[in-house]
Amino acid sequence: MKTIMIKAHEAWLATLMAGFMSKTENKQVLFDFSDILFRHFTWLENELIELDEPYNYDRDAIPIKVEKLSDLLHDIEKRLSEIDLQLLSSPDKNLDERISTDIAYMRDVLQHMKDEDITAFSMERKFPDIVLTEEATDALTLFLFEETYKEYELIMIYNYLKAHSSDAYLNRIFQILIDESFFHLKSFGDMGAKMGLLAVPRLVMKEMYQVEDVVQFLKDGINEELAAKEECKKLSEAVSKDSPELEKFFDFINHQENYHISLMKDALKHFEKKNNG
Amino acid sequence: MSMDAQLIEHMMNPKNYGALEYSDAQGIGKNPENGEKVAIYIRVGKDEVAPYVEEIRFQAIGCTTTVVAGSMLTEEAKGLNFNGVQNLVEATMKLLDRLPPEDAACSEMVALAIKAAVDTYEKRISDPDYPTITYKIVNSCVVKDDTVEVIANQKEGK
Repeated sequence: MKTIMIKAHEAWLATLMAGFMSKTENKQVLFDFSDILFRHFTWLENELIELDEPYNYDRDAIPIKVEKLSDLLHDIEKRLSEIDLQLLSSPDKNLDERISTDIAYMRDVLQHMKDEDITAFSMERKFPDIVLTEEATDALTLFLFEETYKEYELIMIYNYLKAHSSDAYLNRIFQILIDESFFHLKSFGDMGAKMGLLAVPRLVMKEMYQVEDVVQFLKDGINEELAAKEECKKLSEAVSKDSPELEKFFDFINHQENYHISLMKDALKHFEKKNNG
Repeated sequence: MSMDAQLIEHMMNPKNYGALEYSDAQGIGKNPENGEKVAIYIRVGKDEVAPYVEEIRFQAIGCTTTVVAGSMLTEEAKGLNFNGVQNLVEATMKLLDRLPPEDAACSEMVALAIKAAVDTYEKRISDPDYPTITYKIVNSCVVKDDTVEVIANQKEGK
């Protein structure tokens, strides 16, 4: 089961990356499939928890640098076939069936997807129709690498916390934060692909998501969100003259952080109330 | 951090990132100010006159600069014998003064983690249960907002 969960994790990310690369109607389909694969990953994780099997979020590197989308799609199909084969050993036949039928459909669609030339690794660092100064380009490049990883890290942390919590109030908050981080990850990943800088976020270290002190984690998280707001504000100012469109986008992300902070404060209050009996 | 193609390649595809299965030793470099850290895992080759770093991996809780430094320094360390590794660590430490503070802190953290891994390995020759060594950095990591501020100031004509 552990191996299947790792493979589902890798297939989810590979499909998400394929979505970033695509510039056609394939994009939304790939994003939808990556969402389905993420859910498979969480079901398999839940199964491991129920079986009381130790697990973590380690995975192999995922090579995605291709010139044609079809090259990555073949790779994803192969990954899905491996998951399907290994599911035969799963003790939960209903889970096996659910995942297996999803995989059969996704493989069929992937096989018939129109091919595309890929520019997501060009390293050109230019937005279509937007000219940024070199300094603004450097700042944006760094921001995208930092924040793409950060959003992936947050998804993994909140997912782990949610998987190990049976508190409905907290799980609602964790799920919203997961959804918000997914939106940010997709936004930044798309921007990275447009700039020719697409990369798989690096592996998250165990001690980041196997949180020992949730209260401290939430306190630190609120401070990090405040720092992220500042980064967005500065980036918005830096690109304002060259691109009102990017300026508005970073203001929008900045304002979204307010909601995250408010949710984390709610979770913190709830935890402190619980801890104080 | 000024960016060239090589640097961007390290950001997109950091070399040697991840844990090393069956490592002979680990070492940690840590920033006590903010909890950022680098873990180095080494597998030691013993088929030469002197032991050498046969395989090396790293993981980081830190910023992109730390990851780039980890990618570069682990590539340098791979294949070196322990004297070579110590020389690499010393050369890196000497370079820190010439780097911006935040870059210096990141590079120091990686260099000290490499040193910690080799030192842990050597300690374990006589004491197999010797714990993983952690070295703390002395450079301070300044929040990296200079670049953006410079741009904003330029635009405002400051």
